[in-house]
Amino acid sequence: MPNDLLAAGAVGSGRLPPGLLPALVPLLVLIVALDVYCLIDLARAKSVRHMPKFVWAIVILFVSAPIGALIYLFVGRDRSREPGPARVGKGAAGREPGPARVGEEAAGPAGVGEDAAGPAGVGEDAAGREPGGDGAAGARGLAGPPRDGPTVAVERQPPQMSPGRRPPPGTSPGGRSPGGRPPIITTSGLTRDYGGAGLFDVDLMVPQGAIYGLVGPNGAGKTTLLSLLSGTRRPDRGTIAMSIRRNQLAVCPDVPEFDGWLTAAEVVDLARSLVAPAAGAPEVAAALATAGLADSAGRRVAGFSRGMLQRLGLACALIGGPELLILDEPTSALDPAGRAEMLSLVAAMRGRRTVIFSSHILADVQRIADQVGILRDGRLLYQGATKELIDTYLEPSWLVRIAGDARPVAAALTAEPWVTRVEPAGTDSLRVDAAGIEAGERGIPAVIAGCGARQVSCEPVAADLESAFLALTGADSLGARWPA
Amino acid sequence: MASVTARLGRPQPGRYRMNLWRLEWLRLRRTPRALTLAAVFVFFGLLQPLLTKYQSQIFRHVGNGVRISFPAATPAQGVGGYIGELSGTGLIVVVVVAAGAFTFDSRHGLATFLRTRVTGLWRLVAPRFTVNAAAAALAYVLGALAAWYETALLIGAPDAGGMLAGMLCAAVYLAYAVAVTAFAAGIVRGTLAAVGIALAILFLLPVAGVYHPVSKWLPSTLTNAPVDLLRGTHQLSYYLPAFAVTVVAIAAALTVAVLRLRAREI
Repeated sequence: MPNDLLAAGAVGSGRLPPGLLPALVPLLVLIVALDVYCLIDLARAKSVRHMPKFVWAIVILFVSAPIGALIYLFVGRDRSREPGPARVGKGAAGREPGPARVGEEAAGPAGVGEDAAGPAGVGEDAAGREPGGDGAAGARGLAGPPRDGPTVAVERQPPQMSPGRRPPPGTSPGGRSPGGRPPIITTSGLTRDYGGAGLFDVDLMVPQGAIYGLVGPNGAGKTTLLSLLSGTRRPDRGTIAMSIRRNQLAVCPDVPEFDGWLTAAEVVDLARSLVAPAAGAPEVAAALATAGLADSAGRRVAGFSRGMLQRLGLACALIGGPELLILDEPTSALDPAGRAEMLSLVAAMRGRRTVIFSSHILADVQRIADQVGILRDGRLLYQGATKELIDTYLEPSWLVRIAGDARPVAAALTAEPWVTRVEPAGTDSLRVDAAGIEAGERGIPAVIAGCGARQVSCEPVAADLESAFLALTGADSLGARWPA
Repeated sequence: MASVTARLGRPQPGRYRMNLWRLEWLRLRRTPRALTLAAVFVFFGLLQPLLTKYQSQIFRHVGNGVRISFPAATPAQGVGGYIGELSGTGLIVVVVVAAGAFTFDSRHGLATFLRTRVTGLWRLVAPRFTVNAAAAALAYVLGALAAWYETALLIGAPDAGGMLAGMLCAAVYLAYAVAVTAFAAGIVRGTLAAVGIALAILFLLPVAGVYHPVSKWLPSTLTNAPVDLLRGTHQLSYYLPAFAVTVVAIAAALTVAVLRLRAREI
């Protein structure tokens, strides 16, 4: 356009009209300044988008000014760049933070060490040990004497697809949560109908200080339930009762999103300003360190991987020390090491704060959750202690090795009422399924001794949440083993 | 831990810490939004008086020798070209920039982050409206100053009182445009859809002005105020009804936006 003006007003006569030059100067200065700004920005940029830097330089310089510069600003500029080189974490670019940091943090008050399953005990030996000291012995005593400690009366039931308004199996009556602790959140008849899909008559009860795992197949209603609990959606009917204030609840979605031009520290600081204005930079730093993002505090979020965004979402959720954390699929984007770190971190919160997390990775739930809720088709099929679920819905098995002929022992075991199945597993071995762990642990050695046989070994066959889940939901052939 | 704290910086007097107001400031500063607003308005502020002054020569140059005679340009015409761009390109840029801030619900994760932490939706809307309206007004003033300079240099000095009153009217109209964008974001989630609805309202509402008794009350009347004030066609008092309606419309648009955002599920 300035060329047109010059041509129109000046070229014909060979000189500029009076007053045109000072009028043109600001326009030219603006255009040149924009080009210079873009060139400096390009030179300082560590990376640009879509094209190499030298091509962008050509675009800025030779595409009609200032159009080339504007194209660079809107298309080529890399918005994930750090605000200043001094704030860049050394060696942090593009790398997932190492596990040590989270491990240190996780070994805090809850005493969780490197192995998150350690203190909780869930998952190490699912067939034989208590999960997390909750005292939820549950239905183990169906055919044998009860152990010491509190027992939650759970009636063994076949899988039910439509429990309706009846409390789901595992829920104790009388307003106490399954773990015997006061509930931090309870729902009654919670329903959200999306035309057949959604959530129906869910009576949730989450004990204070519990790690509550919410599991279910895709479309079961996990995210809907978490959204209703966090207040981002409203139920069609039913009630939600919380023993905490709303601002003591923090939510981390499965795919956290933030403004990409903020640094990680700024994002957490923004969360701090909204939920804990009295807190300061040390709390922000602590949250970042806990989530394993200490080295990336000064990096812009636009350059973060999905796993790092999940960590950042957790850091934001931790700031202000919420009483209740709602985590939607917190490990879905993490690599195995990151997953282990995240699980350790969540496990370390046991007792200090309540965590409700959804996951389709049942091993994760089994590893850290002391309470579990199983959703299917929008209905809560089960809630209660994880261990109790395994015991209730998966008959425990042992592999018994006998010195000598195993047939008399097999016959004697078959006659016992608590034995559900005996199968030969080789010439000197038997696989024994029992109605309960107690019964098996006490009864098998007694029967072997009664037969005068010598027992070489008696090993529990692993029982896990996945098998129990499949048995409960009847999701595949495993379910056929258990009567519906 | 210590190194992280050092990098973040301990709270110091005068040191900025994050809040929703600073978030909006950073949104303008760290993205091309502020630069675009300023560049567009200043560019047209510098360009339009030039085009007005030399329109005869330009038409002769591009019109294959066809000679069109224009009367001598007046200062009002010089500034009027810039005002014309305000109600076209400038308005589009303001709406696009504002829509990016208001449509936080278009990203589910971001909406969850914000909505589960704020105590009321007004806390999200107020800084977005204020900062975007202020930025638009500032960009307009910068462009108007550039147009003033060019016009004074090439055509003749426009009336200072008219210019300042015109700036006030235009700033109020731009605040109205930002409020309409907030209203559109309360109706739809997507940024593009919000831009479309806001621009449709802003461009179609002036059509009601063909019914003469109404025209005086329409917010769009304020867009012509700078030129009319320079020409002396009207006094500032003529625009008081439109001014009042615009202020009420801003309040109504923001209220509806907050109510709609509050009712929305994510």
